[in-house]
Amino acid sequence: MNNKFEALKAEDSSGSGEEEAENRIEPESPPRPPPKPGPGEHPLQYNYGFWYSRKSQGNKNTSYDQNLKLIGTFASVEQFWRHYCHIARPSDLTGHTDYHLFKEGIRPMWEDTANRNGGKWIIRLKKGLASRCWENLILAILGEQFMVGEEICGAVISIRYAEDILSLWNRTESDTVTTSRIRDTLKRVLNLPPNTIMEYKTHVDSMKDNSSFRNTDVFMR
Amino acid sequence: MSDKGASPQTLSGREIPNRRITDISNIPSDYSTTPGGSIFSTTPGGTRIFYDRAFLMQCRNSPLAKTPPANMANIPGVTSPGEIDVPKENGVQPPKGDKVDKPIEENPQFEMDI
Repeated sequence: MNNKFEALKAEDSSGSGEEEAENRIEPESPPRPPPKPGPGEHPLQYNYGFWYSRKSQGNKNTSYDQNLKLIGTFASVEQFWRHYCHIARPSDLTGHTDYHLFKEGIRPMWEDTANRNGGKWIIRLKKGLASRCWENLILAILGEQFMVGEEICGAVISIRYAEDILSLWNRTESDTVTTSRIRDTLKRVLNLPPNTIMEYKTHVDSMKDNSSFRNTDVFMR
Repeated sequence: MSDKGASPQTLSGREIPNRRITDISNIPSDYSTTPGGSIFSTTPGGTRIFYDRAFLMQCRNSPLAKTPPANMANIPGVTSPGEIDVPKENGVQPPKGDKVDKPIEENPQFEMDI
């Protein structure tokens, strides 16, 4: 569905986009020390990292991995807000851009050992809803509202041309009890209407067709 | 206790009131919260740290949350200072109404000509 737009963008490469991508995106070296909650702060169950990626235009050789940029890591509620409040809201972003919130140690990639056997729930959002839904989703993750043990890996908001897409990644796609529990909690925390279409896609399938959001399994209540 | 008239059988216990839910989606929205805020709650799998949305939102106003972290990656248009409500120095808030407008990107990253 997004393909024609991506193709248009590739044709439209003006030179300004890829220059920035190449200059700014550097591998994280040396790795950051793990964050710790400061005095008086409220610790989180897990440490997390905020990531940003933007599809580079023109240069097709730039891999997804190279476009991934770690914005920062945090270990407490207060540290989360210190990052979140100083990052542009998803709906203010332009272009083919993603924010990722993942547990520390998990890269937002299908191939990561934590993700390899997992999959994701996908919710397509009309334009204008991304910021609110993203905030509700990540607050639910940070607050451990999903109650599926170690299963949650992270979440992504994908800004696209005609729609924005919210994804919630979990570790084990074959665990249907967990995935349906995640789906139900998603509906609750996002306050989704009962007839909302939800899609699930395993990362193995994504690796096969090299696509995040095509050929998904569709679920309706 | 000092009342010798109390017979032992009147002290027999009764059920501790509880309520059960059959489905995870029926958990009330104030689950694991106390009037003063959130608590560290316990689940069968061990102790986990829960926070509900209202408590997390409340922490947003904490002074500890005001300043951006020093080591946050600089990504123009995403984390650049001056774009959103960024204090000039640690703990020093710019005067109200002094918010810097979002800088207009010199080179629009791309334009969709359809």
